[in-house]
Amino acid sequence: MEAQEKADILHGIIRKFGAGGKDITSEEWGRFVAAQNDGYRTGPEIGARVPDFALPDQHGKVRTLKDLSGPNGLLLVFSRSADW
Amino acid sequence: MLAAFGDAYGIQFPLLSDAGSKVIRAFGIFNTNIPEDHKMMYGIPFPGDFLIGPDGIVRDKLFLPSYEHRASATAIAMRNGAAGANAVEIESGALSATVSLSGARCFPGQELATGLVIRLKPGWHVYGKPLPSSYRATELIFESPIIGEQSMELPAAKPMLLQALGETLPVYDGEVRATGKLEIKWSPPMPAKFLEPFGKAIAPGPYKIAGRLRFQPCSDTVCEPPQEIGFELPLEIEAGVPPAPRKPA
Repeated sequence: MEAQEKADILHGIIRKFGAGGKDITSEEWGRFVAAQNDGYRTGPEIGARVPDFALPDQHGKVRTLKDLSGPNGLLLVFSRSADW
Repeated sequence: MLAAFGDAYGIQFPLLSDAGSKVIRAFGIFNTNIPEDHKMMYGIPFPGDFLIGPDGIVRDKLFLPSYEHRASATAIAMRNGAAGANAVEIESGALSATVSLSGARCFPGQELATGLVIRLKPGWHVYGKPLPSSYRATELIFESPIIGEQSMELPAAKPMLLQALGETLPVYDGEVRATGKLEIKWSPPMPAKFLEPFGKAIAPGPYKIAGRLRFQPCSDTVCEPPQEIGFELPLEIEAGVPPAPRKPA
């Protein structure tokens, strides 16, 4: 899918949502989902090392890969938003 | 934002904020489909889970192309060795069996793991695949209007020369164990015409997931007609979670 086409689809749906979303069709919704997932990538392969990181948690404390890992390691979940 | 979200749902584990998507980019899962001027969605990752060992090496990961459907926690636990929590026993002359679901409750759109253990009485066997059409292969089928895709792969059956039939056929004897997947259909979170083709609303509450175990028991001397034993497993469909209240900015 072309970048411009994806951009048009993503902007178009959000505009329609802003206007109440009543005229969104299921074809448009299908294209909206497809545009977001086009060529999706899944990061480091099984057996590869993940990059180190340091990010603030919900209490403002900076957490690293090392300090989050327990004796059995860590389950790291990437979510898109806690807001929508 | 994350503190309010964590408080609203009683989340005990750390919720990390990747403002600017630096770590998302470092992992190579930045969603480049979203245009830069898209205020709401720019910066999101392709969502997925990594199981990372204490040495920093990826042990397993789960990325799904459709965000309506997710594996349930019980399905992930059962695939990693936990026992099914919701089981029913089946008895017939030649065998006993246990059919299980990974859990007794789930949300619409979640996938459950399924389990099957067949214990054959001594001297009896049932059939695997591939099989001539005159015999019935062993099969477990779930049936309910709220289920979507299902799959279960039985282990390879061993070829056995059956003296009475004069044929070599794939059979199971002793104990057979298999696990599979059962998808509970997605229920749109809000009434919207455009979401109807992707799933009809499923009311929360108690449901019965019916199913049938199909097999044909044979011994060295007798071959019984194909049998089907029906069963039912309870499943509680949970109500959707309302959005977290927002703290005033």
